[in-house]
Order: sequence, then structure tokens, then C-alpha cells
Amino acid sequence: MSLTRLAWRSLRARTLRSLLSGLGVALGVAVLFAGLATNAGIDSSVNSTVRDLVGRADLRVAAFGEHGLTPETVRAIKETPGVEVIAPALQRRIYLGPDIDAGQALPPPVTVLGIDPVAEPQLHDLHLIAGSLLREPTEPSALISEQLANEDGLTVGAPITMQGTGDRVTYRVIGILAGEGPLNGAFGRIVVVPLQTAQAVFGDDAVTRVDIGVTAGTDVGTVSDALVARLVTQPYVLSTPQDIAATLRNSTADFQATTALIAAIALFAGAFLIFNTLSMTVVEQVRDVGLLRAAGATRRQVTRFMLSQALVLGVFGSLLGVGLGVLLAAGMVAYVRTIGSVTLQRPAIPPDAAVPAVLVGIGGTRAAALEPARRAGRIQPVEALKARLDLPSARRARLRWLVGVFVIVTIVGLIAAPRGAGVVQALVVYAVLLVGTLCIPLILPAVARLAGIPFRVILRFEERLARSAMVRDPSRSTLTLGALTIGLAMIVALGGVGQHARAAAGAWIADVVPGELILSSIRPVAPDEGVEADLRAAVPSIARISPIATFDVALEGARTDAAAVVGADLAADGRLRFTAGDRASALAAIDAGGATIVPAGLADRLGLAVGQTLTVPTDSGTPLDLRVVGIVERSIPGSGGEAMLVGWKDATSLGVAGADAFAIRFASGAPASARDELRAVATTYALDYVTLDRIKGAIDDAFGRIFGLFDALAAVAVLIAALGIVNTLTMNVIERVREIGILRAAGMTRRQVWRSVVVEAGILGLAGALLGVILGLIVGGLMVVLAGGRIDVATGIPWQIVGLSIMLGIAVAMLAAAYPARLASRLPIVRAVRFE
Amino acid sequence: MTVILEAFHLTRTYPLGATTVEALRGVSLSVEAGEFVALMGPSGSGKSTLLQVLGGLDRPTSGEVTLEGKDLGSLSDDEATRLRRDRTGFVFQSFNLIPLLDVVENVALPFTIAGGDPTRGELADRIRDVIELVDLTGKEHHKPDQLSAGEQQRVAVARALVTRPALLFADEPTGNLDYTTGTEILDALKRSCVERGQTIVLVTHDAKAAAYADRVMVVGDGQIRETIELGRRDTHEATPLIARLAQLGL
Repeated sequence: MSLTRLAWRSLRARTLRSLLSGLGVALGVAVLFAGLATNAGIDSSVNSTVRDLVGRADLRVAAFGEHGLTPETVRAIKETPGVEVIAPALQRRIYLGPDIDAGQALPPPVTVLGIDPVAEPQLHDLHLIAGSLLREPTEPSALISEQLANEDGLTVGAPITMQGTGDRVTYRVIGILAGEGPLNGAFGRIVVVPLQTAQAVFGDDAVTRVDIGVTAGTDVGTVSDALVARLVTQPYVLSTPQDIAATLRNSTADFQATTALIAAIALFAGAFLIFNTLSMTVVEQVRDVGLLRAAGATRRQVTRFMLSQALVLGVFGSLLGVGLGVLLAAGMVAYVRTIGSVTLQRPAIPPDAAVPAVLVGIGGTRAAALEPARRAGRIQPVEALKARLDLPSARRARLRWLVGVFVIVTIVGLIAAPRGAGVVQALVVYAVLLVGTLCIPLILPAVARLAGIPFRVILRFEERLARSAMVRDPSRSTLTLGALTIGLAMIVALGGVGQHARAAAGAWIADVVPGELILSSIRPVAPDEGVEADLRAAVPSIARISPIATFDVALEGARTDAAAVVGADLAADGRLRFTAGDRASALAAIDAGGATIVPAGLADRLGLAVGQTLTVPTDSGTPLDLRVVGIVERSIPGSGGEAMLVGWKDATSLGVAGADAFAIRFASGAPASARDELRAVATTYALDYVTLDRIKGAIDDAFGRIFGLFDALAAVAVLIAALGIVNTLTMNVIERVREIGILRAAGMTRRQVWRSVVVEAGILGLAGALLGVILGLIVGGLMVVLAGGRIDVATGIPWQIVGLSIMLGIAVAMLAAAYPARLASRLPIVRAVRFE
Repeated sequence: MTVILEAFHLTRTYPLGATTVEALRGVSLSVEAGEFVALMGPSGSGKSTLLQVLGGLDRPTSGEVTLEGKDLGSLSDDEATRLRRDRTGFVFQSFNLIPLLDVVENVALPFTIAGGDPTRGELADRIRDVIELVDLTGKEHHKPDQLSAGEQQRVAVARALVTRPALLFADEPTGNLDYTTGTEILDALKRSCVERGQTIVLVTHDAKAAAYADRVMVVGDGQIRETIELGRRDTHEATPLIARLAQLGL
């Protein structure tokens, strides 16, 4: 019989353990595959988003602010040498429908994209699933996205009514575009109309962006330089498709790095399981190995025999893992939907992710098996037939192996992980986890004693036995605890980071909004529209209406978020925490003009200090000087980060047409009905009534989804650790068969034996949970600090997650004890006491 | 004298592949309180199986065992375990000590299992007493790997005696020991019998060990072939027993 067949039979003789080990590998591979597939899905979504956004254009000129690019700028672009074709477009958000009833919730807005029906198809493919494309520059026709058609029940031929600056206009749907349509961040609700009609509807002759196709054979860089030289009258952003893709990818980098980190941890736990399984097999088969050696098997053959078993487990586990990974990836993509600025369009299950996942699974299994296989090969026939293995050498080898596996998984992780800032963070986290795990043997007896206290109170003897069993082979217990600890540590760490992010976002909102609720608009509301006066008239108990607008400015050549605010309102409401500058005079200064308050992050990045002057380009061509009068901890969030704050006087110079939102403060003692009145009147002005709690809730939901997913992935590592606990406890039972027999002969009941194994698992679980919580809090703190945050010990500990992790650790471990405990309690005494 | 242990028509069969092995074939016996009985026979004769069934470690296929009047077959596993813990003691051929526990802890095991505190009161006195009986005073806190083979087996004897069991079962207790060390163990057993009235059932294939008993039951083919009354003696001279065995052609 070949050694491979013998290996196969050996695995079949231990069906349950082999299945558990295979499942452990499968779960590790599943998380890895799901991570790779999701990352591939993100890449493909980024590519498809870029394709949708830019099409075949070589360059894009995008406008700053609501005023957009003027006809002069568009003309200048068109006349730039090397430019062959331009596709200008205007983008605005509106509400569809003939009327919005007062008091009713506003429907989700749509994004209207005005395009040149002739030029646009030269640079962009518009994929129709029904109807036809736009042809005439002035036709009252529209294309809509498939998602909008489905959500609003619209079909080809249906009328759609839009509210522009003048009367409502009604267009006819002539075509339906596939999927979410050609825009990112529009939530799939898109209406495409001819540019001229869009400009007429919105009373604007500007455009939002101009996509450029350069003449064949012309260098894009040369055209880009020529554009920079010509476009001097208003601020703009010039980008290539690569720039846009890089920006989108950056917004997903943290997600990808965290997924890769968790996959690496799950793989480590899987490798640990294989190592322990094969170690057990070596101990169990020591006589068989001795017989094989006595019968003439060489060391190499014995090593091959053991490695063959690992190969079978690796192949089985990896293939099963890819199957599970497909399901997991589909679940992840469906659950998360949006990562950063990228909407995942569909679960991407790339076949090329299966190959590395299977190879890593098999390779990891083989690597984990190397040490036990070599140990088996070194067994002397005589030693095997009469004695036990030299445990101390095995223990040392296990700890060396632990370091080895960490290093291998790190290298694999570095190769497989996406590039970006998250990699350093992941490496630091990984190193902390390694150091933490290596410390376990040193503190094992103390931790076991501590974790044993609750059990000692009611089951003193069982606790003593269980603790003795744990410290009998510290390296095995270390590996078991290590896998459980890092799984739980990741759950706690991610919980801590999630809580920190939620708290920071909540505090942010409360810190910067000068009111108790917000009325938001999808279009700028100009001061001369009289909306504020109408609101005050309708709801007299409003104490203050503070207009806010967010926009972009070009600062030192980079797009920077800015916000127009009323300094006096912020002062009256006690908002903003200043780290530099005088609060009262700074807020007064921005209202007076020529001054700005900058967030600490921006001040750090640009090295700004109070008193410095920033020069910002304006539409008029005359740059605006803004003196830095204060630096604040947190500022109003813009589209990409925190905004520098200016007064409305300067905002108007910077092209801000009106407010995007109004922060409302009611007078003290305002009747409860005032809020309902405001909600009703706001709707008639197409203003969305949003409480600060609703904003916090939305932030909580968004964070909850992402961190919930990470926690679920980390829980897979805990599940793998549980399989390891089954193996370790079974091994402990097998090694103690005779001892259990003696105890039974001396009067220990089956239930007591059962309890001693379950208590052992409970101590392991509690010890793992305690270590996991401590390590998790450290790792979580590090992740927050590395991401630029600050740790708040008083509020930063995620008590709920800590409690859940401790319960999870104990419950998982004690459940894992079911089989070994049953095995131990049912040992026949007579055979047990004779067991060698 | 009071009968402490009785067995009636015990049989015990084991499946072995497609066939069954009959280890016991209708054994009946009785042991009186304070008696030292030896079950003697060659390997495979069924003597160890008989001892395990008598001690409640194994259940007979048919037949009945009563210990102090209680039918072991009618007891649940937990009841049988408690009876074993409280009323019997076992000494095995392998010393079967718990390697992680020291001498006192190993001896105290039956008390610890029962939830008692062996570090104080009467239990501590009893532990001290049996350790003295087996001559291990001074080595109370040695771990098994720090003791010689004979000392380890004496710990096992002390553990078996510490509960003051009604019956002590010893299965080849000298099988792994040299002659001198084995004699020490047998002396300790005999001492507990003579000085403390301990009832002992000893399994052995060695006539010199069996000669310590008051009565020797010769087991062969799963049955009691012969009972040899030696009576309580001051010496452990094996010659009369060996001569009697020779007479019987055993």
C-alpha cells in the first residue's frame, strides 16, 4: 500500500477530527477568498465607475462651486491645441413629480445630467436597455437609469416633471439606461436630458464638467499643460482617468487593508488548527510510526506520510473554502453595497482569486504540517515502541513554528494586500498580536488561575484538574489560546474603532452645527429667495436660522473643502472648539470678511498658523486673501473632509450662490407643535427636515454596517479557534485516558469527568476572552491612533462588545468541549486504567 | 464472621470479531469481612476480569454481585461510583498516580473527588495515618516522578486505604516490582488486614504473593477451579501452597 493511501486511511480512521481540521482550513480560505473577491469586486467597480464617469475621455475639466464653468472657459478648452472633441455636461439635483405636498416626507432626489447629444456619445457609451438615445439638442426628452425606472415605476413613454428655476417642465422618457446609470454618488437615480434644455430649465449657461478627447497621436500631458496655461479666469480641477481611479481606490483602501488583515488572522487560526491536528496525530500514531520505521520506512517516508495527510486536508479544506468564500463574498458585497465613494455593483467572483486562495490554503496547510511531519520522521523505532515523545522539544518547536507561521502569513499578506496607508496599520496590528500571543506561555499559569476563579467557587476539584491539564503542555494551550485570543482581540479592537468613529462623528455633528436640526436643500437657496423670512413668518417660535453652504476652493493647487457660515450664530450657539485663536473675535472676523477659520487637520497638513494669509482664486479672476483667525478641533464636514470656514461675504465672492442647509434653533419654550409646523412648511420649499439625531443615526448605520461585517469576519477566526479547542481538549483527554480511568476507579462520577473537561474549556474560553479583550483594547487604541484619532479612555472602551466577546469566548469554548467531554466521561474504566 | 462480598453465577463475555470470548463462566464466591483472599491463575484465566466485576469497575453479562448486601447490578452508574468511592479501594499493577499531584494530593484524591477538604480535620489525620502505614512519612510533597517504583505503588496502596474501605481490590500490585519492593507492598497490605481488619481481594499469578492470603481461589478458564484454605498465619511461607497446587496438578 502506498504511503498516500495509508495517509488517507489514517485520516478516515479519525473522521471527525479530519473533518473539523478540513473545516478550519476551509473557513480560513473562505475569508481569504471572500477578501480577494471583494477587493477584486471593488477594483472592477472602480474601473466600471471610471469608465462610466470618463468613458473614452483623456482629460476632464471639472468646475468648482455651483457657478460651474462659464461658456468662455468651455470655449477656451475647445480651442486648446490638441483637443479634438469636448463633451460638456451640467449636473443638478432636483425632485421629480408635479407637486410635493406640505407635511409629506420628501421623495429621494434625482440627479439631472444635461449632455450634448452629439458630442457625448463620442466619449461615453450610454448603455440602453430600452428605447433610444437623445438626438436633438433641444428635444424635451429624457433618458432615465434602470434603477430609477424600477424605483419609481417609470417606463419608456412615461412623462417626468422637473422643477427648475422657472415653471415646471415635463419631459417624456425615451430610453432607459442600464443599471445605476453613468454617474457615481447619485444612488442610481439619474435623468439624462439634452444640455441646452437642462441649461434652460436651471437658468444657467454654465456646465459642471467638460470631458476632453485629444487628437490621435497627441500627448495628453502636452494638452494638459496647454489647458493649464489657457484656463486662468476661474478655478477648476483638471484630472486624468487615472487620477479619478486613484481617488476612488483611496476611498476603499482602509476597507481592503482591514479585510486583508482579518483574512490573514483567519488563515493563521486555520494553520494553527492543522498544526495541532497533525501534532495530535503524531502523538497518537507514535507506535504506528515506530512500526513503520521498524519495518524499514525511512525518515523521509515517514515525513511524507504525515505531509500526505496534510495535503489531503489542505486540498479538501481549500476547495470547500472557495465554495464557502463565494457565498461569503456575495453576502459581503450585498451587505455593504457602498465602500468609500464606490458603489459595488454586483458580487464579483473572479475565478483568478480562487487559484491564490487554494494555493495559500494548501501551502499554509503544508507549512503547518512541516514541523509535526519532521518530528514524526525523527522518531526512533525503539523510542516509539516503548516511550512517549520528548515533549519539551516538541513545545519549543511549536513556539518556533508559531513565529514562523506569523512571518509566512505576513509575507503572504504583504504580497496579497492592497497598497496604501492601511498596510502599515495592518502590520503594526499584526506585530502586536504576535507579541501578545508569544507572551501567553509566560502568563499562562496566572491567567489560568484568574480565569479559574469563577469555576473554583462551585467546582473546586474539577477546576484544579482542568487547570493542571492546561499547564501540562503550555505550548499547546498557548496555541489554542492564541487563536482564540487574536480572534476575540480583533472583534474587540474593531468594536473599539467603530465606537470611536461613531462617537467622533456624533461629537462632530454636535460640535459644529449651530442649531438643533437642519433643513437641507438639494440646490443652493439664494438669500434673495426669501426662504428664511417665509420660514420665520410661518413658525414664529424659531429663534435663529443659520444658512450653511459647502463648496470647494482651490488652495495651494489642491481641491479643499470650504463652508460658508454665520460666525455670530456659531458664537451664540457655543459651537466649535478652538485650539488656536480667540473664539469671539475669530467668529466676528469671518462675518466681517477677509478671514477664515481652519480645521486642525488642514492646519497640520498645510502648516497653517493663526495670522497667516491664504490666497484663494475666485470666479472674478481677482484672488481673495483670507487671514487665518482661528484653528478648530473639528469643522463642518465637506464632500471629502473637514471644511475651512468663511463668512457669507467671502463665500459670495467665491461663487457660492446660496445655502445648502439651514441650521434651526427654536426659542426656549417653543411649543412642540412648532417642529411639525416647520416640517410642513419646509416641504413646500423642497427642504428636507433632518434632526441631528437622524444624522447621527445614519452615521451609526453606516459605521454599523462596515464594522458589523468586519466583526462577522473576525468571528470566523473565533469559530476556527473553537475547532482548535475541540482538537486540544480531545488531545488532552487522549493523553489523560489513564488518569481519567484512575479518577473513575477512585470514585469520580461520569458527570464529574464531563464537568472537568467542560470547566477546562470554560477556563480556556475565559482566559482567551480576558487576553483577547486586553489585546483588543490595545490594538483598537493603536488603530485609532494610527488613523490620526485620539483615545478617550473614559468613553473609548466598547463595553458592550467587551461583554459580548467574553460571553462569546466562554460559550464557544464550552460548546467546543461537548465532544471531548462526552468522550472522556464515557471511557470504560477497565480499559482506561490499562491505557499506555 | 460477616459476609461482605458475594457473587452468584457470574458470566462475562466479550465480542471478538465475529466470535465472543467467555472470560467468566458462572463464578460464585463469597468473602468475609477482614479476610485476605487471593485470586490466582495464569494469564487469560479471567482473574482480573473477575476482580473488575467484583469491584464494580465492569458489569457482568449475567449473574449478581452484592457488596455489603447491595446488589451492584441494581445501582445506577453514579450510585455504583459512589459505592466504589466510599466503600472500596483499588490498587493496580501500573501505579496509576496522577503525575501532577504530589503524594498527599494523590492519597487525598477520593476525598477531593467527594468534595471534602483533605487539608484539615479528620481527613487530614487519616491521610497522615495511611502515609505512615505505607512508610512514606517525609515524602508527602514529592511528585510521582520523584519516587521509586515501590514508593509509587505504596502511594497507590495508601490512596486505596485512605477511605477505610470495606474492601480493597489489588490487581497484580507487585507485577511491575522487583522481589524486595513487591514484598514491601504485600507486607503493607497484610499489615492493614491484620492490624485494621481490612478485607482484601488480591489478584496474582505469583504463588509467593498468594501465600500472604488466608484463602486462595484458583481461577482457570473463567471458573474457580479450587479453593485452598491457608488460614491466618504469621509467616508468608509459600511452600505449603505450592505443594498443594502441585497436588492438584495446577
